Amino acid sequence: MSSRNRNILIVVGAIIAGIAARLLFPMGQPAISVKAEEIFGIPNFTNSMLVLILVDIFLIVVAFLATRNMQMVPKGIQNFMEWVIEMMFNFFSSINKKWTPAAFPLLATIFLMVLVSNWTGLIPGFGSIGFCHAGETHGSLALNVQDPYAGLVPSPFAAAEGESKYLGCQPGESLVALFRAPTADLNLTLALALIAVFAIEYFGFRALGVGYLGKFFNLKGGPVGFIVGIFEFISEIARIPAFMFRLFGNIFAGEVLLIVMIFLLPLALPIPFYIFEVFVGFIQAFIFSVLTIAFIGLATEHHGDDHSHAEGAHH
Amino acid sequence: MEALGLNLPKLIYQIINFVLLMVILYALLYQRVLAMLAERRQRIEQSLKDAEQVKLQLANARRDYDAEIAKARQEAATIVAQAQERARAQEAEIVAQARREAERVRDEARTQAVQEREQLLREAKDQIAELVTLTASRVLDAELKASGHDKLIAESLSALGRRN
Repeated sequence: MSSRNRNILIVVGAIIAGIAARLLFPMGQPAISVKAEEIFGIPNFTNSMLVLILVDIFLIVVAFLATRNMQMVPKGIQNFMEWVIEMMFNFFSSINKKWTPAAFPLLATIFLMVLVSNWTGLIPGFGSIGFCHAGETHGSLALNVQDPYAGLVPSPFAAAEGESKYLGCQPGESLVALFRAPTADLNLTLALALIAVFAIEYFGFRALGVGYLGKFFNLKGGPVGFIVGIFEFISEIARIPAFMFRLFGNIFAGEVLLIVMIFLLPLALPIPFYIFEVFVGFIQAFIFSVLTIAFIGLATEHHGDDHSHAEGAHH
Repeated sequence: MEALGLNLPKLIYQIINFVLLMVILYALLYQRVLAMLAERRQRIEQSLKDAEQVKLQLANARRDYDAEIAKARQEAATIVAQAQERARAQEAEIVAQARREAERVRDEARTQAVQEREQLLREAKDQIAELVTLTASRVLDAELKASGHDKLIAESLSALGRRN
């Protein structure tokens, strides 16, 4: 048998096994909640915060191990982290050479934290290990998906009297996951967006002084210049929700996609989506940090005055 | 906002968490790694510079060495030439001396030979004279005594033989 035929056979077998498993073990509804849920009954302590603490610990331990015993000729984890940091530094420098050294801790922390947070959501058990609570999934934006296969085939494994035919949470109950990717929580993405925009404005003022405000409240450029300035201001403010929902939307959508794929067919089907989500997780971390340095570059540029003068004179 | 899970305490928690993480990673990771990268870059530059220096020094040493060798070779050639010159002079002197010596030895030998010959001649003359005298006296004596010639001749001959 050629390897091609064998691969086809494996995939077909996995799909058949997936369908069989799905029919024999009916599931309750998958847990999809837009907001991070509180766990352990602690007020304001959510599953995404728990994972964020684990992400923090992971990053700090890696940083500690990489720099514990630094050698002039690096090897192992030191070598790897030097590679990561040098790659980041060179890449950010290629976008904006002047401000990268000052902004690097911010950019690198955004990248590393978002990347690791995004990828935690792909660890098996995230979103599926948790507690069953009575009541529908929390929040008005929660998705309520009923098992389309339920009752198609009577399950032989849950036939005993009084036992449920469902694995996991029963109908009417909802799962509160113990772990949730931190970046699938709007609080984190909003916090990052605020920090990034604050940093952008900070570098703007640092580079141009009070003159930085002239970009937004342009009194010298005539009425058109003034209106352009107002638009600039709005677009500056709009960066906060843009940052916030871009990251949240991508990661949350990725989780929903994986949950739905697993719900539809537990084997074979989710694998390409997992690979795709690994890519998305990287790209989103990359985009967040790259946009931050790119916006810092824009904020620290001197082009405002001359440009609006010329425009004002023409019109 | 509540439906999205947004609330202020969680937001503040996230901001504090991020700032703390950034500070810790800066102290623990970025600062050290960037310092290490800078140090390594500087060391590599220094090494390249040193290597260039060493190369230069090597070239200089090589040049000096070559010059020394050339000088030494020249000196050696001079010394050899001088030695050859001296040897030739000495050789000439030795040959001249030897020739003089030979000349002297030959002259001495010749003188000696001449002297010996003269002495021989003198001795021969003396002996002949003596013999003649003896023979004459014998002849005269025999004539006088009128005794036979044969006896005289035999005596003369034996006398001659004894002398020689």
